[in-house]
Amino acid sequence: MIDARNVRKTFGSFAALNDVSLNIAEGELVALLGPSGSGKTTLLRILGGLEFPDSGSVLFDGGDATLVSARDRHVGFVFQHYALFRHMTVFDNVAFGLKVRSRKERPSKAEIAERVHHLLSMVQLDGLALRYPSQLSGGQRQRVALARALAIQPRVLLLDEPFGALDAQVRKELRRWLRRLHDELKITGVFVTHDQEEALEVADRVVVMNQGRIEQIGTPTEIYDQPATPFVYQFLGNVNALPCRIRGGQAEIGPLVMPAPSYAGVADAAGVAFVRPHDLLLSRPGEGGGSFAVVRHVSVLGAVVRVELSLGEHIIEAETSRQRHAELELAPGQRVLLWPRQARFFLRDGWEGTTLESREELARTSAML
Amino acid sequence: MAIAVEISAARRRSRAVSETLWVKGLLTALGVAILGLFLLLPLATVFGEAFSKGADAYFAALVDDDALAAIRLTLLVAVIAVPLNVVFGAVASWCIAKFDFRAKSLLITLIDIPFSVSPVISGLIYVLLFGLQGWFGPWLRDHDIKLIFAVPGIVLATVFVTFPFVARELIPLMESQGTEEEEAAVVLGASGWRIFWTVTVPNIKWGLLYGVLLCNARAMGEFGAVSVVSGHVRGVTNTMPLHVEILYNEYNYMAAFAVASLLALLALVTLAAKALLVWRFSREIAADARQ
Ligand SMILES: Nc1ncnc2c1ncn2[C@@H]1O[C@H](COP(=O)(O)OP(=O)(O)OP(=O)(O)O)[C@@H](O)[C@H]1O
Ligand SMILES: [Mg+2]
Repeated sequence: MIDARNVRKTFGSFAALNDVSLNIAEGELVALLGPSGSGKTTLLRILGGLEFPDSGSVLFDGGDATLVSARDRHVGFVFQHYALFRHMTVFDNVAFGLKVRSRKERPSKAEIAERVHHLLSMVQLDGLALRYPSQLSGGQRQRVALARALAIQPRVLLLDEPFGALDAQVRKELRRWLRRLHDELKITGVFVTHDQEEALEVADRVVVMNQGRIEQIGTPTEIYDQPATPFVYQFLGNVNALPCRIRGGQAEIGPLVMPAPSYAGVADAAGVAFVRPHDLLLSRPGEGGGSFAVVRHVSVLGAVVRVELSLGEHIIEAETSRQRHAELELAPGQRVLLWPRQARFFLRDGWEGTTLESREELARTSAML
Repeated sequence: MAIAVEISAARRRSRAVSETLWVKGLLTALGVAILGLFLLLPLATVFGEAFSKGADAYFAALVDDDALAAIRLTLLVAVIAVPLNVVFGAVASWCIAKFDFRAKSLLITLIDIPFSVSPVISGLIYVLLFGLQGWFGPWLRDHDIKLIFAVPGIVLATVFVTFPFVARELIPLMESQGTEEEEAAVVLGASGWRIFWTVTVPNIKWGLLYGVLLCNARAMGEFGAVSVVSGHVRGVTNTMPLHVEILYNEYNYMAAFAVASLLALLALVTLAAKALLVWRFSREIAADARQ
């Protein structure tokens, strides 16, 4: 459906997008996820025709659309700050895309009115048609922007941080609603976000971006369970990044020694181990395996209990259930056994000079336990 | 104990309030006094002198042939200069605010030139360029075009002097509004022309109107530049301000002030219109700024 090939975009001497390739299938909802300044908006604007790449191409349905202007691309674009026409009513905002059509293609007044009202009821804004944007709440403005974009029946819907400016509660509601809407309309969609939870919950596929490059593309499960790079590991979810040594197929994190068979060929190198807090198993001395660690701090956060431990000179964060917490009677100063259910290792040299090649190499040689 | 502390705090607070009240009163009085001395008194004098020989003499001075010619010319100049500058100003601000290009700061500087150069100098430059001895003088003479010491010269000088008013009003406004609404309109399939009229213009209408008011007031009241290029031909190339000067130099004070009172009236109308704009549309204007 949409195919971006080797897209490069610089502003002055700054490379906002560096050789980005991305394929989006018909009917898919894709999230562009990344930290601030990683090039998400730039990529979205290039897909929408509001910005043009320095090199590379953008294909829509197989046809080259790289130089097609935004006006002729027939996409729906929802801006981060909505960009509603401030001097037009909600009705006129939504009707705009239909009213500006050439006389031949323009629906009649009655048809336009019917379509606008249909869209407004779809976004649950019936009755607000005659208000001005300044008389709406943030969530309502957001939905007007969405209705306006959908009015032209776009081939693709592009949304820039659609829920960025809303409070947590409204955000949650709106993103479920967006997902439902997407499932109903079966429209191809791309949305930008820097909220991982949002990306993982709503999208079919997630594109993780960093410094103008794509770090990983995959389903939410793939991205979360098998991060391809240290960056993705750290960006998605909580993770312990622990310096370690890798020697002949084993990784040593302080006193803890874990097998790392795919590094069997590495004689002695500095590495980093990534372990998710919920992958750390805690047990009483004598009951399980692992290394001794000392509990430093325990905090109960709703259903989970977060435990801070020291392992040698490392500080580690573990998460466990309340039940397990009660069984172990965890308290500061207590010695417990610590064993990672799974961990992933990256060689230090590889990712400090981050080039794409070295990263792919790392993904292949990393070890899953 | 706690109550005592509260009371003394309250007393301290009320003393602070009464002190600021006192200072406020003094400052207000000072402001009004300065305003009266430098603005209202001269205004009153203008009307006082104008009516010093009665209403009949006042109206007679206004319907004098030369005075009428001056009024007509002033209106004509404003009718040409203001729309021209609205177009120039809107286009220039649109370019500056909505696009990024290299010569942008140069363009902004150019727009400001009329503000930073004395109007007399501006007039002189026109004479040097288009006068008989000027650069284009011989060419213009050969083609039988008379700019200097004629109406076209006056229009040119006025356009130049009043150029920044609209642009200066619009640039900050358009910059603060950004380009997102226009981008939204493009994506929805609107043409550039359509976007300008249905999205950009409605968003800047108050600023535009205010700029037009200021531009018009200056166009009608301009003296320096027009004085240099006009040639002061009575009934032909005299605008109202120039006519006032001539009458004054002829010791015809009453008539001079009568014509001057029209200019003063224009200023008052401009002020009133501006106040009306702010009062009538303050909510909308504030809403615009908020969005
Ligand atoms: N018009 C521009 N001129 C110069 N630099 C720009 C321009 N647009 C974007 N950039 C730069 O390109 C980089 C990527 O910007 P972009 O807006 O795509 O980031 P983003 O991932 O959307 O970030 P955020 O989450 O903060 O919105 C940033 O460093 C930004 O400063
Ligand atoms: Mg952005």
